[in-house]
Amino acid sequence: MLAIEATGLTKHFGPTIRAVDGIDLRVEEGQIFGFLGQNGSGKTTTVRMLATLTRPTAGTARVAGVDVLANPAEVRRRVGVALQEVGLDELQTGRELLELQGRLFGQSAREARERAAHLLEVVGLADVADRPIRGYSGGTKRRLDLACALVHGPRVVFLDEPTTGLDPVSRDAVWRYIEELNRGQGVTVFLTTQYLEEADRLADTVAIMDQGKIVAQGPPGELKASIGTDSIMLTFEAEESAARAAAVLGQFEGVQRVLTSGQEVAVYLHDGASAVAAIVRLLDEAGAPAQTLVLKQPTLDDVFLQVTGHHLDVEDARPAAPSSGRNA
Amino acid sequence: MNGITATWLLTVRAFRESLKQPANELPNAFIPLFFYVVTVGAIGSVAQNAFGVADYKGFQLPVAVLQGAAGVANGAGLAMTLDIQSGYFEKLALTSTPRLAIVLGRMLADAIKAVILAGAIIVLALLYGSEFKTGIPGMAVLMAATFGFALAYSGIGVAIALKTGSPQAAQAGFIVFFPLLFLAPTFAPIEVFAAWLEAVARLNPVTYILLGMRSLVTEGWDAAALAKGGVAVLAIGAVTLTLTLLALRSRVRQ
Repeated sequence: MLAIEATGLTKHFGPTIRAVDGIDLRVEEGQIFGFLGQNGSGKTTTVRMLATLTRPTAGTARVAGVDVLANPAEVRRRVGVALQEVGLDELQTGRELLELQGRLFGQSAREARERAAHLLEVVGLADVADRPIRGYSGGTKRRLDLACALVHGPRVVFLDEPTTGLDPVSRDAVWRYIEELNRGQGVTVFLTTQYLEEADRLADTVAIMDQGKIVAQGPPGELKASIGTDSIMLTFEAEESAARAAAVLGQFEGVQRVLTSGQEVAVYLHDGASAVAAIVRLLDEAGAPAQTLVLKQPTLDDVFLQVTGHHLDVEDARPAAPSSGRNA
Repeated sequence: MNGITATWLLTVRAFRESLKQPANELPNAFIPLFFYVVTVGAIGSVAQNAFGVADYKGFQLPVAVLQGAAGVANGAGLAMTLDIQSGYFEKLALTSTPRLAIVLGRMLADAIKAVILAGAIIVLALLYGSEFKTGIPGMAVLMAATFGFALAYSGIGVAIALKTGSPQAAQAGFIVFFPLLFLAPTFAPIEVFAAWLEAVARLNPVTYILLGMRSLVTEGWDAAALAKGGVAVLAIGAVTLTLTLLALRSRVRQ
């Protein structure tokens, strides 16, 4: 069964801005679906439409089996949402906030109290539960926000850049919690992120969003395999040298694809290790010697570069490298 | 979620917010009491000879009550912008509760606070020597009118808050009240006004709310004055609540 299904989902702001431009989505129940793209690519607007906070300009969407336009209140009963900006009332305590949220989802006072206590334990906030939220750190607020999204036991959870701005320790805690939520409780997670590592570690399926459109979609392993086995990343002194090198390397035997981004050139080919020496010689002869050369296995960054023509430009601090890779 | 229960839960939340920040409520109590004491001190002794008002303390009492109610009710708009800016408004909008409850909960809390403040002002005015012709039943009616006025008036700030999300703009709602208050028989009976001011005052709904409240304090039961005051409250409420609903619809259907 599909947890999320969208067809031609579109959002325009005014006559010129096409924030989301007719995307199709199919997210299987029980998946972690990674929605990857840089700031302004349309990720958050998509989440807002699926979560009933923003009305689509066109298209249809069903979330947890319910049409978002026909029955938005029922959608809200079935989904949990943690937006990028944690929306917390800082005068309340963590416990008060969760209990009120539970009551507003129709829980009795006792149910709300018990559920809040359980979630506070789960996200490790029991010891600060009765302190005002304004005194919480960024990571603590993020964990409380996650708990808030889960207070009514949703089957689908939207997490909009849940680790942006967090320190590596808090980020790792959030990652582990998302994995537990998905694997332990079977909750479908729709995760937007601008961190490749995050998508690579957590997501069963990744969709890459660029300028309002989905430009690639599939399991991370398949996406990486689709662009060739190896890549050689080269940097040059100037963009002119990079362009000249790209032209030369395009003729090199075995090269599947060459992409240029500023002073960088990415070469995709099979068995890159055996081609390195010949490529270096070829560039020297062409008068475009490389300043640096790195041989890599394909990553989601390569996939991103290939399908969008540019690197993922992350404005915030990047997360620390994960200790283990689920989809490596 | 039942809309009435949700509204009550959010009213309690807004009320609890005030209890956590009592200092924020002090100006709402201080300003009307300050103006009450100063105005009575300045004009009270000449009011009888100047315009035939024997009990100027009673004459000014409803002015203080309305001022206090407007000050309290103006807080609803400001608090709403803070919820919008912090993202908590969206957190509430993501629950299954009717979205109107988010707005009404806030407005009701301020209306209740306005009633409490009105009670305090009445007690202090009585201690200061004011009379209250209709006694405790009249006080109850005055507080009910205060509740209605505060609920209606808070709609201005809340509508602005929902439309703009700006605290500065929401606070500007208070500016609406001052011209309405001073274009009403606030300091003197309407009969002594210049012709142009009397004409304006007779078009001003606050005039009828003030006269209705004042009749309870200084004259006794006057059904006509009370009816006009009630209609004025309903008229203000109809306009502001319509604006609030339109602004809410606009915000949640972006």
